[in-house]
Parts: sequence; structure tokens; C-alpha cells
Amino acid sequence: MADAAGTGMSTGVSKTPAEFLKAIKGKAVLVKLNSGVDYRGILACLDGYMNIAMEQTEEYVNGQLKNKYGDAFIRGNNVLYISALSKSS
Amino acid sequence: MWVIMKGDKEIVGTLRGFDVYVNMVLEDVTEIEDTPEGKKLTKLDQILLNGNNIAMLVPGAKPDYL
Repeated sequence: MADAAGTGMSTGVSKTPAEFLKAIKGKAVLVKLNSGVDYRGILACLDGYMNIAMEQTEEYVNGQLKNKYGDAFIRGNNVLYISALSKSS
Repeated sequence: MWVIMKGDKEIVGTLRGFDVYVNMVLEDVTEIEDTPEGKKLTKLDQILLNGNNIAMLVPGAKPDYL
């Protein structure tokens, strides 16, 4: 029964979280934290804990706040979601 | 799939995949913030939603205002 969740749902193209994470590395992403703060940047790498390293990150609260260039590291603990962006605006 | 999270936030999207922690990959997602009832952020492509904050899943349904 415990196996079903991991393997049963995948169809031909598996888009489980593990696959998704491999697919979005290097892409522009938007990361939202539990606190509601948004970060947009290019995903450098991430791990199974949703710890994230990003480049050219911009921080949005209501309007735009801080700008970070170079690398930003986000602890996975705080991540609400990671969204792939086709174009970063 | 309609996902209701802890803390007055809801996500509507198409379920693409999930794992044992109920982290979910959703496509064509609309994110709804419920405090003043109306902030909607629509994001396309795909999102990986952290299972940590999920309270409820309603398959095959969406909120009335959508």
C-alpha cells in the first residue's frame, strides 16, 4: 500500500516532484515562501528538502523590495511553492 | 484539483504528480488569497506545491468564483 503513492500514479511522462525538480533546474522560477514573500530568479540548484539556490533573485512583498544578484539561498523549510516561469518579467 | 491550504489560501490546478509527502506538481494553476477576498494570482506552467501546508484536497472541483 505504501508503494502506490510513489509509483502508481505515474503515467508515460512522469512528473512527480523529483522529475519536476530535475526539469526546472536552470530555468526562471518564482518561489513563494510561507510568509508570502516572492522570489523570482534562475534556479541554480535545489535538493530534496526544497532548499534552493538561485541567481539574479528579486524579492517581491507587495511591491518590489530588495534586489539580489549573484546567489541567493533559501531554506526549504520556508518554501510554499516553486513555480516554473516561461518568461521572467 | 482544488487544494485548500492552512491559512486561507487555495490553489486550483491540474494534478500532474505527487510523492509520499503529498508534495504536488500542479499545472495551469490559479492561486487564491482569501483575506480581503480577491487577490488572485494566476500562474501557468507548473508548480511544485509543498505538502507541508496542505489542509485539504478536493478532486474534480473548483471554487464558485472561478
